Amino acid sequence: MDAILQKESLGRWIAKLQERGEVYAPEFVEDAWEFTKVERGASVELDHTNTVLPAKGFVFPQREVLYRFRIENGKTPELTDTELSVKPMVVFGVRPCDGRATVRNDRVFTCGVSDPYYQARRDSVVFIGLACNAPPSPNCFCVAVGGSPCSEDGLDVLMTDLDGRYHVKALTDKGRDVVNAASDLFQAATAADRNEVSNAQVAALEYPQRSISAMDLVVAALKRNFESPLWDQLARTCIGCGACTYLCPTCHCFDINDEVTSKSPLTGARVRTWDNCQFPDFTMHSSGHNPREDTGARLRQRICHKLLYFVETHNMQQCTGCGRCITHCPVGIDIVRIANVMEEGVWQ
Amino acid sequence: MVPVDDIRARARDLLQSGKVRAVLGYRRGTAGLLAEPAFMTTAEETAALVLDPTCVENLALYLVNEKKRMKHARQSDRRPLGIVAKGCDSRAITVLLQENHIRRDEVVVLGVSCEAGGMVDTRKLNKALRGKVATQVRFDSEGDINVSHLGGSTTLPARDVLANRCLECARAYPLDADFLFGEKVEERPYGPRFTAVAAFAETSREERSAFWDAHFERCIRCYACRAVCPMCYCDECVVDSTSFIVGPTTTADEKADRVRWINRSATRSENAMYHMVRAMHLAGRCTDCGECERVCPVNIPLRLLNTMLEREALEMFQYTPGLDAEQPSLISSFRDGDPNDFVR
Repeated sequence: MDAILQKESLGRWIAKLQERGEVYAPEFVEDAWEFTKVERGASVELDHTNTVLPAKGFVFPQREVLYRFRIENGKTPELTDTELSVKPMVVFGVRPCDGRATVRNDRVFTCGVSDPYYQARRDSVVFIGLACNAPPSPNCFCVAVGGSPCSEDGLDVLMTDLDGRYHVKALTDKGRDVVNAASDLFQAATAADRNEVSNAQVAALEYPQRSISAMDLVVAALKRNFESPLWDQLARTCIGCGACTYLCPTCHCFDINDEVTSKSPLTGARVRTWDNCQFPDFTMHSSGHNPREDTGARLRQRICHKLLYFVETHNMQQCTGCGRCITHCPVGIDIVRIANVMEEGVWQ
Repeated sequence: MVPVDDIRARARDLLQSGKVRAVLGYRRGTAGLLAEPAFMTTAEETAALVLDPTCVENLALYLVNEKKRMKHARQSDRRPLGIVAKGCDSRAITVLLQENHIRRDEVVVLGVSCEAGGMVDTRKLNKALRGKVATQVRFDSEGDINVSHLGGSTTLPARDVLANRCLECARAYPLDADFLFGEKVEERPYGPRFTAVAAFAETSREERSAFWDAHFERCIRCYACRAVCPMCYCDECVVDSTSFIVGPTTTADEKADRVRWINRSATRSENAMYHMVRAMHLAGRCTDCGECERVCPVNIPLRLLNTMLEREALEMFQYTPGLDAEQPSLISSFRDGDPNDFVR
C-alpha cells in the first residue's frame, strides 16, 4: 500500500498520531541531530543527517527497570512493576540503516527466547523510515554491508522525499494502521509517482559511499587474522571509551544491577543498563583476570562481532553501515579501513 | 608557519638514531577531516607526519596509556617516546611531571607552536558550512581559514571556526620542549582566558542549574571524556563497577556490600555525580586541551566545568597548572598565606 502526502500535510499527520500516543522525530539540538518528542503543534522537517544516537533506544533503552523489590525482615519479599507497559509511540525519520538494525536486534532479543521488555516496546513502537536521497553521513557505507539507502527492512513505513511531497509506503500492519489513521490526508500514488520513486532510488545508489573492497572475503580474513599483530597496531591509539558501541544501532550488550534505595527495609530496583565491550571491566573476572586485557583484544571483539560472528550465526553482518562509530571515534578508528586492512593483511 | 618538514626530519632522525622507541605524531586519517594520532616506529613512517589545524588530539594521553601498557608487557623497550606537543599538550606533560607520573627522561618533546592560529572545532565548521562536508582546512596568509569541501572551497574568519580553548589560549607554544618548531607568539588576536566561563558565571544560579540538568540528562556515560583525558590516569575509578574493589582476595560478601557511589544507570543524578567527581579531580590540573568537550558525542560543554575550577585556582591561589615541572602541584602544597575562609 502506497500513497502520496504533501509536505505541508506532515504536521497534520503527526497531530493525528499524537491523539494516540507519543511521536518522536529528529531535532537539531546543540549542533547535532537527536530523536526528541514532538510537542503538540511543533513543526517537523525531515531533512536531517544521521542522528548521533540511533533509534535502538526506543526498543532497547539505556536503562530499563526490570522490577522493584521490597524486603522486610521476616516477611515475604514483594516484587512490583514486574511487567512493562509501554505507551504507543511513532518514530519519524528513521534512516534505512537503523531500520536494518532493528532486524538484527530482533534476532537477538526475540528469536528462540523472547525478551519480554524488548518485545513489549517493539510491539508498541512504529518506525517510519525516510529513504536517503544523499548519504546522511560522510562515513555511510550501507551498500558495502548489503543494505541500501532505500531499504525497507525493519521499518513499518518508508517515506521517500519527492520534492514537495512524500511517497509513503506502508510495509506492515502497524504501518498501514498509522497511514489509515489519517487517510484523508493522503492521495493515491500514481504510476508517475512510483516512477519518480524508482528514479530517486537509482540516484541514491549512485551517490558515492565509503566502500569495503572485498566484503565476501572479510569473514575468512578475520578468521585468518585472529592472532594477527595487526589488531594491536590498529588499536594502539584506541583510548578505550565506549562511544563506538553506545552509538551503534546494533550493539545490544547489557548489564543488570540492583539499585538499592534503602537498607531497612531493603528497597530498590533491578535495573538493566547498556554495557560496553570496549570497557576494560566488561570481561573482568571476579578473580581479577581479564581475558580481553588490552585495547587490541577489545577492538578485535567489536569488529569480529559485527563482521564475523554474527555472519556465522545469523548469516548477515551485524553492521548496517551507518558510520556512527567512525564519525564519533575520538581518534579516528575506522571499521571500513579495518575491514579493508584485514582482507589485504597489511596496515599502512 | 610551522615547518612540517623540519618536524619530519627531526622525527626521522630520532628514530634512525634509536634515541626513541616511537614518535607520537599526527597523520591523515580515513575517518574524516581530523588528523589521527600515529605511533611512528620506523623512519619511513615519518614521511606521513602532518601538522595543521586538524591536529586536535592531545597526544600526552598516550604517555599515560603506554605506561599502563608497559606495566603488563612481557618484553619492554624502555627507550623514551618522542611526542609532538602543542602548547596545551605540553602543559599536560608538565602536569604529569609535576605529579611524578612520568619522568622527564622518558619523553622527547617535539614542541610545536600554534603561533597565532590553533585547531579547528568541527562542530563550528559543520555549522558554518551548513552541512557541507569539509575535506581540508588550512590557514591562509591573512590568518583566516581556508576550507575545501565537496564541491568547492570557502574562506572563514579563524575566530568563527577555531576551538574555544584556542581562542582563549594564553600560551600557544610549549614552555618545556626538547625541540621547538614555530615562533613563540605572545600576542594573540583573540580573547583572554576564561572568556566563556566568565560569561556563563554571569547567568543566574537557576539558569545554570537548568542548563546542567538538561546536559546531564543527555549524557550516555560512554566515558569518552574520561578516556581521552591525560589527567584521568587512576587505575581504579569510582564509577567502574568491578575494578574498584574486586581483587583475588575479595569475598562474595564484600562484593555484595560494596558501596556504590554512582549507579550504572545513565540518569541525571548519577551523571551529574560522575561529572562533578571528574571536575573536582581535575581542579588545579586541567591544562585546557579541550579534549573532553571535543569527544563528547552528545555535545556536553564540559570545558565550562574545568575552566571554572581553573579560574578559582588562579584567583584564589595564583596557580596555573603545567607551567613548571619543579613547582609543587596545587593540591599537594600549602602556603601560610593561602585563603582558608572556606574551611569551617
